[in-house]
Amino acid sequence: MNRDEIAELAAGYALGALDAEDRARFEALLAAGDAEAPAALRDFEGVVTGLAAETAATPLPAVKAALMARIDAQGRSREAVVRTLSSVKADRSRPSTWTLVLSGAMAAGIVAIAVGLAVSAAYDRRLTQLAQEAAALKQEAERQQSVVALLRDPATQVVAFSGLEPAPGAKARMLWHATAGGLLVAQGLPPAPEGKAYELWAVAGKGTPVPAGVFTVDAKGVGSLRVAPMQAAGAVDTFAVTLEPAAGVRAPTGAMYLAGKL
Amino acid sequence: MQPAGTPPDAPAALLARIAQGDREAFGRFYDAFAGLALGLIRRILRDPAASEKVLQEVFWQIWQEAARYDPRRGSPEAWVVMRSKTRAIDRLRAIRRREKTFVAPVDESVARSSETPGENPGVAAETKGLVRSALDGLPEPQRRVVELAFFEGLTQSEIASRLGKPLGTVKTRARLGLDRLRSLMTGKVRAEP
Repeated sequence: MNRDEIAELAAGYALGALDAEDRARFEALLAAGDAEAPAALRDFEGVVTGLAAETAATPLPAVKAALMARIDAQGRSREAVVRTLSSVKADRSRPSTWTLVLSGAMAAGIVAIAVGLAVSAAYDRRLTQLAQEAAALKQEAERQQSVVALLRDPATQVVAFSGLEPAPGAKARMLWHATAGGLLVAQGLPPAPEGKAYELWAVAGKGTPVPAGVFTVDAKGVGSLRVAPMQAAGAVDTFAVTLEPAAGVRAPTGAMYLAGKL
Repeated sequence: MQPAGTPPDAPAALLARIAQGDREAFGRFYDAFAGLALGLIRRILRDPAASEKVLQEVFWQIWQEAARYDPRRGSPEAWVVMRSKTRAIDRLRAIRRREKTFVAPVDESVARSSETPGENPGVAAETKGLVRSALDGLPEPQRRVVELAFFEGLTQSEIASRLGKPLGTVKTRARLGLDRLRSLMTGKVRAEP
């Protein structure tokens, strides 16, 4: 390979623009201890780094703080794993006669508890049922209170959604409050197929769509969703509804059925 | 500040310490190169908030993969620059894909619903007024090749098909462009051929 060819490869390599085959050729030269390739590369790297340095900027201190916190958290969880592993080992290496006595006592205890449980099982079932009913009622009351609060707040806005290609006749309205969340009511949507549901997305400008909850519709195509308050919801100006796996996804994948803007 | 070239403080030595899990070395490496990386990421993405996220990803990757740094393949600075460039371009491509598949139908539906027209100022306005660059000193064909390679992440054969030029021409322009940039940066400007 002549000098010009090496210089061309080095330039492309420093720019990160070589095609795979050329890159492999140049890396092979570097690995083989070629005399010219590293010198040519250093030269061009300096230029490319200089180009990047033209715009050097000071990052917010929060970026470094977040990285350091992540590193510390990683260290802590590693230590915890090591500790757990070593304690398991230590326990296994010290068998004791007390273990036998204790397991005998525990077995007797378990039998007694089983009898007691059988007697109280019926009461427990009834109590659980009542607790569930109470929780459901409480939840419904809270939901209604939050909707009333939304309606009363002058900062609440109404977002109109219109139907897109898969269901042009669908529409929806949403009460939306920057800090209190919202309430979406949709109609005219086809019932979601088995294993699917509709998912609402909130978008701030050209940012990433943020999931805002999943809902289904009844046989008449009507469905509603209480949208929980979101972080940084103040910047949200666009909403959309897509068809997704029933558990919801973190980024939209399915067809868009409804969209609206503040 | 220790004299230049003192081994424990040299970027390559810091990377070796980071590979051993040295938190303090990582802090120093970050202080030395985060500004360089952020400037490049911003220049590619043109979105300050997204850029700081990418910066964090780049340095997290450096923390985890410092052992993979191979001094034969380039300096630590160039390693950071290349990782920043690659991550930023990945993000840019993801944003463009999303704009095509997600934002476009929203805008279309809003236009159809005849409500107040969306006032998306667009990214274009932000792209104006970039800092004056040594790139301005390059003849247009060379500048174009360097920009497409470095700020848009195209490979040389992609650039060739984008510009409708032979691959050999693109390779030569990349090399001539970097040669001339070096002269411009070191103040040894030659007369433009």
